[in-house]
Amino acid sequence: MRRKERIDRGIKVRTEGIYAISSWREILYLVGPRALLILGLLALPLILELAPYWKRVINIMCVYAMLALAFDFLANYVGLVCLGGAFFIGAGGYFTAIFNVYVGLPFYLTIPLAGICGAVFCTVLLLPCLPLRGVYFAIVTLMYPLLATRVVEAFDILGGTNGITGVDAFPNAYLESYAIIFLVLFFLFAMRRFVNQDIGLVLRGVKDNDQSVRASGINVTYMKALAVFVAAFVGCLGGAYLAHLYMWAGLSLFALDFSIIPIAAVVIGGGGTLVGALIGTLILVPLSEFLRFFGTFRIVIYCAALTAFIVFKSEGLMVYAQRKYHQFERWAKV
Amino acid sequence: MRRSVVSVFLSLCLIVGFTLTVNAAEKPIVIGAPLSTAFLYGWDAERGIKLAVEEINAAGGVAVGGKKRLFSVEVIDTRDLEPQVPVSEALLGVEKLILEKKADFLIGGPVRSEAALAAMDLLNKYKKVSIVTTGVLTPAYTKKVEDNYAKYKYCFRNTSHVGVMIGEFAVLFDDLKKSQGFNQAYIMVQDVAHARGGGEAMKKTLTERGWTVGDMKVYPTGTTDYSVGLTDAAKKNSQVLFLWMDMPESAILLKQWSDMKSKALPMGFVNAAEQPGFWKASGGRTEYLLVNLVNAGNSPSKTTPWTMKFCDAYKKKWGLEPEGYGTSSSYMAVYQLKAAIEKANSVDSDAVVKGLEDIDIMGVYGRMRFDKKSHEIIPSLDPKEGAVTSIIQWQAGKRVQVFPPKAADGKILYPPWAK
Amino acid sequence: MEVLVYGIINSVILSLYALGFTLVYSISRLPNFAHGALYVTCGYLVFVLTNSIGLPYPAAAVVGIAATALIGAVIYRFILIRIRGMEISEIIATYAVGLAILEGLRWGGLRGMTFVLPTFYPGSVTLFDVSIDIQRLIIVAIGIMTFAGLYLFTHFSRIGLALRGIAQDERAAMMLGIDSDMTAVVSLAIGSGLAGFAAILVLPLGNIVVEAGYTVLIFAIAVCIIGGLGSWSGAIISSFIIGFAQILTEKFLSSHFTMLVAVLAIIVTLLLKPSGLFGKQKELEERV
Repeated sequence: MRRKERIDRGIKVRTEGIYAISSWREILYLVGPRALLILGLLALPLILELAPYWKRVINIMCVYAMLALAFDFLANYVGLVCLGGAFFIGAGGYFTAIFNVYVGLPFYLTIPLAGICGAVFCTVLLLPCLPLRGVYFAIVTLMYPLLATRVVEAFDILGGTNGITGVDAFPNAYLESYAIIFLVLFFLFAMRRFVNQDIGLVLRGVKDNDQSVRASGINVTYMKALAVFVAAFVGCLGGAYLAHLYMWAGLSLFALDFSIIPIAAVVIGGGGTLVGALIGTLILVPLSEFLRFFGTFRIVIYCAALTAFIVFKSEGLMVYAQRKYHQFERWAKV
Repeated sequence: MRRSVVSVFLSLCLIVGFTLTVNAAEKPIVIGAPLSTAFLYGWDAERGIKLAVEEINAAGGVAVGGKKRLFSVEVIDTRDLEPQVPVSEALLGVEKLILEKKADFLIGGPVRSEAALAAMDLLNKYKKVSIVTTGVLTPAYTKKVEDNYAKYKYCFRNTSHVGVMIGEFAVLFDDLKKSQGFNQAYIMVQDVAHARGGGEAMKKTLTERGWTVGDMKVYPTGTTDYSVGLTDAAKKNSQVLFLWMDMPESAILLKQWSDMKSKALPMGFVNAAEQPGFWKASGGRTEYLLVNLVNAGNSPSKTTPWTMKFCDAYKKKWGLEPEGYGTSSSYMAVYQLKAAIEKANSVDSDAVVKGLEDIDIMGVYGRMRFDKKSHEIIPSLDPKEGAVTSIIQWQAGKRVQVFPPKAADGKILYPPWAK
Repeated sequence: MEVLVYGIINSVILSLYALGFTLVYSISRLPNFAHGALYVTCGYLVFVLTNSIGLPYPAAAVVGIAATALIGAVIYRFILIRIRGMEISEIIATYAVGLAILEGLRWGGLRGMTFVLPTFYPGSVTLFDVSIDIQRLIIVAIGIMTFAGLYLFTHFSRIGLALRGIAQDERAAMMLGIDSDMTAVVSLAIGSGLAGFAAILVLPLGNIVVEAGYTVLIFAIAVCIIGGLGSWSGAIISSFIIGFAQILTEKFLSSHFTMLVAVLAIIVTLLLKPSGLFGKQKELEERV
């Protein structure tokens, strides 16, 4: 009788703790993939000088990556499945437009400000929904962007269906590309640190068993609100960047597409590893651009891909890749 | 040694000669068309543009710089008419056309007003001339050009907008008042910016002209029942029902109108009723509906000598009569572009802008000139003076042009049960 | 008076939309977000069968509904069966499948507004001083018969009782030999069939467009959440509540806000009483 056995690779064991710096091989093993990601992303705008349209695709991809990061964090580290990523983008976008057009601040002030104000706004509005769990929270958050669209449309505020135009653009094409790439990389590593701190442990406890966290005397709703604030901050920064990128903020910032693609990216890239969100968007967004030739058919293709991944390989690419990288499998005799 | 020198020299000659002959074939002028091809207001423009390009290329092409260059069309689906799609998709499509497909000029869209307004800044950034020919009913588009000419001078629009359409409706309403003595109206519009704007403007205009407006109902997209509004209109004895909708559910409204035997004559801007196939689809229940087709030529009529030529050519190529209000305008935009390029004798954007401002041709829907300050096409009720809007009425399965009076093919009929 | 008449008509239409969705959720705890897609698919299928292939309308209708039920069963058997129990994955997977079907239909030619299904009987009558078209009267009549029929089916037939058994307590039902997967396939098939049935009844009022899929889905979710996920009578009563709320808003406030009512209702219900008006109270399962 044989069974399959998974064992950590030798090099992984040798890189535990202080021994990680015992030789170049160990350092390379740990640093290698991360360096590849960072250097690869940073080099992209330079490589893509040859195809300037694709630079724009990378910018959009990074905005989706911010949203996907927020979704991954909320869903897999806090247990809140938020299907309303579009709400964050819309809030961030509209706040930036307001600060830029009505108040007149320059872009390096509006983006952080919009991030903070948008995050506060989103947290306050999502506060009543926080006690809900599971599928109910998901459905409510799905409805929020739809409601926001109807409200802006019905009361004709903030430019109504025409939106707010005339938002400043970035003065420099390189600044445009690198600003968002830096933001994405910064938040990727910052979130990773965050979930490993004490606060992060409490949040993961909330995901696993919130009754016991409550029993320990910690206010679960406060913790969840904090998590939503962090995720909303990331999302709103993405939305603020998008408004400046296209010099406009309007109703369609609340579009369902902004909610669906981050979810698909996290599923494909691997939930639970924050990098998976980034990898997922790296695959999905350029793929969708390639398939533009097919017109509406490309939605069919990537919905089919999403379903296939959820059903057959729901762990996602990064989890699979990490497993292969850190462990190997062999048949052992029983 | 000498033989290798000779052979190198010969091959060099061959290469130079080859490249010279290759260069002799002219590069085509690329027209980029960012459209929502899965919707009526996308494929109407696509078909119009392709028909025009085919005709121009068959006649030899555009004469510029002493040579003749052909047009080529690149269509991109911007999906911007889909309700849940962000405008950034449309803008990405426009950028793809400019950066990757190397479009020299843009004709057609983006179709949604929101997207078109947002695209204006992009066009300024890349300095590409664009003629918007379908969708974009908001007056704000050309107002922006007027307010900031230096920044937005590359943007043109050769299709009508809400402001002009309201004026023409007002003239029609006056005719009805004079000939039939009507003075009770009821307004039903969709809850989108251009429809609400149209409804508000109509309400104001009608009240000024002595009509009583029973009520103005604003229906959100997705409403499936209009009974309350129709009964209310009947209670207030409304004689004319003014509509402005482009959602699919407007078909439900029209069917209910017919089933409830409403006494009000329906007229307005109704997307669903612009297609010739709609008659069959509604089982003939949309008889007597007056629809504003925004630009003449989108249904057979005798507005100018070119109109029927265009309709016949369209029918021959695509198998049905023109449908959707962007067809004739997109067709004409290609011809206007040709005239402008030939007048400026260059494809440089600034020169073509000047060219477009200066041209004056007799097109499918009247005399076509652009206003020099706002880059909007100059409208008129007389095809010899400006661009004509056509209002048709569905009579016995056909679309009969009943307005403007100088280009009418028939008179307005009234439903027998409304007497 | 017309408020009452049309209120009833609209409520019955809403409940027809939601019946399939409720059935699937209350029995298999499976939120079927592909409901709207199945609705449009059936309509388009019947259109193609009557126009391109030339089948007579009743035959085409039956074939259409059967085909939709089959599609529903296939979705379960090959896709959803592997992710049973993982609610979020189910939502995402069914939504993706629904989106794929709708956009696939749009790509395959469902564009423009010229696709219609014929009404059962043209014309209109005047009842109680209000003019109603016969199609709507037929919808109300058939709707009420459907409710009665479903009630009888689930209370007096073997399969129906098996479905209810699984809904009440899955383990106990399995102990009695009722196969959980088979039941889920049957319930999804019936749910999709009901969606198709609603399509055939309601689509003749307007035309077949892809956007109808999204609208139907929102209404179905609204009705089920307010009524309580898991309760039949709750779904019917809540559809009356929403239907009348919409028509009263239109009459007394402004037609502007009718769609807002549906979305607001969902949010308010979820915030105050997540299990809905008639849902079985599972306090700890739904809020902290």
